[in-house]
Amino acid sequence: MRIRSLTGLAFHNMAGDKLRSWLLGLCAFAIAAFALSTALVVHGAQESLHLAAARLGADIVVVPRGAETQVDGALLMGTVSRSWMPSADVARIATVKGVAVASPQVYLESLSHASCCAVSNMFVVAYDPRTDFTVEPWLRQRLDSDLGPEQAVGGSEVSVPVNHNVMLYGYTMWLRGKLEPTGTNLDQSLFITLPTAYAMARFSRTNAVKPLVIPRDRVSSVMIKVAPGQKPTSVARTIGDVVPGITAIVRPQMFAAYREQIGGLLRGMVVVLGLLLSLSLAVVVLLLSMAANERRRELGVLRALGATRGAVMFTLLAQALVLALAGGLAGVAVAAVGVGLFHTLIAAKLGFPFLFPSTGPLVAQVTIGLALALTAVGLAAALPALRISGQEPAVSMRE
Amino acid sequence: MRMGAVLVVALALVVGVVPQFSHCKTASPMGATAATSSTAPAGGSTIAAVRAAASASTTATPMRCYWSARAEIGVALPLLAGGVLLFFSRRREARRALLILAGTLGAVAMLLPTVLIGVCAQSSAVCRTTMLPTLLAAGGLTVALSLVSLIVNELRAEDESVAPQLAG
Repeated sequence: MRIRSLTGLAFHNMAGDKLRSWLLGLCAFAIAAFALSTALVVHGAQESLHLAAARLGADIVVVPRGAETQVDGALLMGTVSRSWMPSADVARIATVKGVAVASPQVYLESLSHASCCAVSNMFVVAYDPRTDFTVEPWLRQRLDSDLGPEQAVGGSEVSVPVNHNVMLYGYTMWLRGKLEPTGTNLDQSLFITLPTAYAMARFSRTNAVKPLVIPRDRVSSVMIKVAPGQKPTSVARTIGDVVPGITAIVRPQMFAAYREQIGGLLRGMVVVLGLLLSLSLAVVVLLLSMAANERRRELGVLRALGATRGAVMFTLLAQALVLALAGGLAGVAVAAVGVGLFHTLIAAKLGFPFLFPSTGPLVAQVTIGLALALTAVGLAAALPALRISGQEPAVSMRE
Repeated sequence: MRMGAVLVVALALVVGVVPQFSHCKTASPMGATAATSSTAPAGGSTIAAVRAAASASTTATPMRCYWSARAEIGVALPLLAGGVLLFFSRRREARRALLILAGTLGAVAMLLPTVLIGVCAQSSAVCRTTMLPTLLAAGGLTVALSLVSLIVNELRAEDESVAPQLAG
């Protein structure tokens, strides 16, 4: 009963000063929304890079020297790499000690708004079915067979339904399945075998608006699996020594430019969050100090009637925490829905991919965002609440 | 209630204006539908035939998002009128009817690009990255705002009906 009446007093105070209540809720809204947006974008981007590296399944990726960022961009953002390396290098790399498998890949792109291509500017990865370890293991596990001629596998976001035909350069292929999402351009890519790619190039000479040109004896990159017990870094160094004109990148260093970009964004966001937090806390302290000062006599009377110091603190803190909870809930809802709906646009504007988290991690991040807003406002509210509740009732009523 | 009316007007403007600048305008017919076997040309078509098809495709074939954007104008105009009427409305029965109308139009704004007409299939298309999320957000907000305003309207109506009884 006592608690109910004190809570009622807190609600009465909120209704009494609407502007102050709105401002307090707005501070909690801003803290929760910004914290959650930052967490969703940065964590989603890191997760996306991790999944993309895992999807490729390689311990080392070998690319033409100087084309590291181009190849990263091709795999993550779909900006097609125009750099090639001699296919003879694949055999040389395969003989390096510590290399278990070396599998070449060729990166292609469909035409833009051409009648011969079902999807505009679609990124296509052509792989060698004899050595591949990126798509083939998944195929054998899920579909119980390899990818044949005129067959393809798509990323999760490919617009063509599974078991339908997809036409590129006038060449029709059967889409046999879709891979799990990574949040990168790999989700909108098509995976085909090298023989299918060469067949498509031949077919395009007579059936496409513009023929597909794959340079002879050239590949875009080589995916490498290191033999058990071998260190990828030392194998990569050996490859670099043996084969000229290439760069061997070990898995933790893959997508380095993007990792740096994400790190920069995180640092910037943390600074902005720090400023926002400080500003919001200052506003909350100021607002609640004003409210407490205005209610000093009322609180003095409450103490004189027998209310404990804790009860007085409770009314002040309850007012702040209820408003912080309302503002925080609105903030996390806006941030989660906003980032969820606009995630493709945000990724395009930021220039790096990110994957919207699944329910479990999302709930965890929402809870953290809400907890941050509640803790910040609660701590800021505690200062004036402690000060005013500590005053003697007689002094409070006289002043 | 007036704040709610202003928000409804603002959301009506978003629903009506944003899609007009974020649809894909035109593209090849197959790009719009992500060609299946039925749309694939016969294997022996010649270069001339293919190039003729390509030139035909460039003659402005509207895509689904274009029609969705046009249809959203038909949703935005009554929503805008509803918002303006809500602003000046004094009678709670009228406000109730206007809020129900606004909520329904908000739901239609969401249904047009998702169920009734749709947008392009390609996930990187501008209509998918900008138009669709904007309409979902604006439509969802309109529905939520209408519901909250409706509840507030009904609660106020109860207070107003109790007050004269007490006075009497």
